[in-house]
Amino acid sequence: MSKAKKKAGFALASVTALSLVLSACGGSGNSNEAAGSGDNSDKPVNLIWYTIGTPQKDVNKVMEEVSKYTKEKINATVTMKMIDWGDYSQKMQVLVSSGEPMDIIFTSAGGFDYVQNARKGAFLQIDDLLDKYGQGIKNAIDPSFLSGSKVDGHNYGIPANKELPQQWVWRFNKNVADKYNLDTSSVRSLESLEPLLKTVKENDPTITPFVMTKDFVPYVPYDYLITNMPLAVKLDSTDYKVIDILETDEMKQALKTMHKYYTAGYIAPEAATTGSTTDLERAGKWLLDMAQTQPLADNLWSASYGYPVVSTPASDPIITNTSVQGSIMAISANSEHPEKAMEFLNLLNTDPVLRNMVDSGIEGTHYEKIGDNRMKNLPESKNYDMPSYSLGNNMILYLNENDPDDKWEQFKKFNASGIPSPILGFNFDSTKVASEMAAVQNVKEQFWSSLMTGTVDPDTYLPKAIKQFKEAGLDKVIAEAQSQLDAWVAANKK
Amino acid sequence: MFGSMLRSLNRNKILLLMVLPGALWFLCFSYLPLVGTIAAFKEYRFSRHGFLYSLIHSKNVGWDNFKFLFSTDAAWTITRNTLFYNIAFIVLGLVCSVGLAILLSELTNKKMAKVYQTGMFLPYFLSWVIVGYFAFSFLSMDRGLLNHILGYFGGGPLQWYSDPKYWPYILVFVYLWKSVGYSSVVYLASILGIDKSLYEAAMIDGASKLQQVRNITLPLLKPIVIIMTLLAVGKIFYADFGLFYQVPRDSGTLYSVTNVIDTYVYRGLKTTGEIGMSTAAGLYQSVVGFVLVIVSNFIVRKIDKDSALF
Repeated sequence: MSKAKKKAGFALASVTALSLVLSACGGSGNSNEAAGSGDNSDKPVNLIWYTIGTPQKDVNKVMEEVSKYTKEKINATVTMKMIDWGDYSQKMQVLVSSGEPMDIIFTSAGGFDYVQNARKGAFLQIDDLLDKYGQGIKNAIDPSFLSGSKVDGHNYGIPANKELPQQWVWRFNKNVADKYNLDTSSVRSLESLEPLLKTVKENDPTITPFVMTKDFVPYVPYDYLITNMPLAVKLDSTDYKVIDILETDEMKQALKTMHKYYTAGYIAPEAATTGSTTDLERAGKWLLDMAQTQPLADNLWSASYGYPVVSTPASDPIITNTSVQGSIMAISANSEHPEKAMEFLNLLNTDPVLRNMVDSGIEGTHYEKIGDNRMKNLPESKNYDMPSYSLGNNMILYLNENDPDDKWEQFKKFNASGIPSPILGFNFDSTKVASEMAAVQNVKEQFWSSLMTGTVDPDTYLPKAIKQFKEAGLDKVIAEAQSQLDAWVAANKK
Repeated sequence: MFGSMLRSLNRNKILLLMVLPGALWFLCFSYLPLVGTIAAFKEYRFSRHGFLYSLIHSKNVGWDNFKFLFSTDAAWTITRNTLFYNIAFIVLGLVCSVGLAILLSELTNKKMAKVYQTGMFLPYFLSWVIVGYFAFSFLSMDRGLLNHILGYFGGGPLQWYSDPKYWPYILVFVYLWKSVGYSSVVYLASILGIDKSLYEAAMIDGASKLQQVRNITLPLLKPIVIIMTLLAVGKIFYADFGLFYQVPRDSGTLYSVTNVIDTYVYRGLKTTGEIGMSTAAGLYQSVVGFVLVIVSNFIVRKIDKDSALF
């Protein structure tokens, strides 16, 4: 063995290691030439689709079937990659920044934030593609979805056609409510709950009357510019004024009531740090909570808890940015086949066969049809249990065994009843005030949960919170938001 | 010149090969990512050409990304908390683990010594999430053990998770409980390496146990103590995220005593997701840590040249 050979071996090893690392960083660097070409060739294009949800065992099996179908229709095959709920935002952030090849990305107001990432350049602007390949989508889904998901005047994704407005309801554990003869239909405001809570607390101290997690925020008739940040605009606003929600009379009143409930013991002592209330729900040891609804939600809740749940509205159905951006499929900015991806999205949102295959799996294996547009899950469906909301148009899904015939009619009616928020379509760009936002966010984390759950007395803590928000630069953020909103109003509302 | 280098390479080839995996690891995971430091001075935006391209072509923003760390009076709170907790951890951790190591080494029943050691070692392997729930089972307001004990003696239930005044003690205690068992092993190992004849000689001269510890064990432990402390000092601007986030259950009213640089950065950026700003925070922590190591090593060298790291 010569020295030179040894040395070459060492050098080779280090070069290999280095190049491995480098290629992992810049993986998509050499693939640009391939883009654009190949759309007309005979070879089918493979689309990579990242979506949210617990990875299912049979994903690849189902996608093979899906690919057979799409290959015939649009000459494309599909690979789906699922990332679990809690990891989705973070992992996507890394995958997108590292330029991992992908074509279709699930995004929403909550998971891998749609507006921010659209602005950061993660998604392709699809105005032209939508005109060219997406006519089916334009006919199939409620136009408010497409207009409400515009960022700075452009579309960056296809929202799923589903419930459009967001409406808060009080949910009641019917067993408990019936036991004490409570009239659940007459409540509406936060204050109107008091007699019910009182009755339950006095009669059965083992029940938590008012259940909530640390994310609870009492409903006030305002639309938030960013979810759970204190900037908001009043729903019936005509002057489009951005204000600090904590300084509004409605919020002050609500927080006082919450503190009254907390001190009376209607709320669990650790509400401000509670992440999940599933144990209470499983045990049925609760009276009421606040939740967002959709048509037939009571049935869904009752089925998942195993005992009857009823609900009464706590707010009007409002169409907000958050409700419109609840589930969007975007085309990745680094997609090599944006046209094919758009064709696929068009097919997915209009073709019941494809949509139901993606949703429920393979007919005869995961589900069976028991009617024209009705299906039943088979035992195998546990290996392919997908979240329906994140996979495109909901209104062409087959009905489940127990769904009423007019399920989607009810959805359409609910959507029509929605009242648009005055700032629907306006998306605040916080880039210019990024460092203030980070500071404001920290103040928010410090005070928000304990105020909203009533854990602390608003008489002493609210002024403190307002003062700290101001010190963190909330006024500057509000001023920036106001000037953007004014410009938007001038351009869009005449 | 070149020839002699080759010769020395050849002579040490086995040693060099042994170093290779570690060196490669450092190269890949510590040196290569240094390129990313540029992100601290950029407003990072995605592009279709991958990470490096995006990094180079993102807008330069100078020192803007560092502003959020210092823009409010929270900057003072988080720096103070990070520094003081870490100093407490270093000092108390050192005292406790060296003490423990000496006690363990003096046990004559070696079987029992192993049992104790394993018992104390165990918490180190628990994740902070689990430790957080342990603490919660003691501190929960309505179902916690401590409130039940207090109630037994006539004390009212305390709202542990909304009263900041207890938390400096709770956090230090929990940290020590979790880490001391592990760090004492290092000291125990070097105590066991001390030449037994020294102790025999001391015993013949009539030295008591305490005198033996003071004059033999402690002086011989000094180098390892200094190395371990220097390494800890370098991390003084890094707080243990799990400890400060999970154990107080992210309770807002406790932030005045639980907010540290790492939790502040996490909370500030989880909504905006600005890569540039989080890189800036990391860079700031590294630079300060680097300076602290250099300075403390310099001081050590002034006092005792042989004990310095470099």
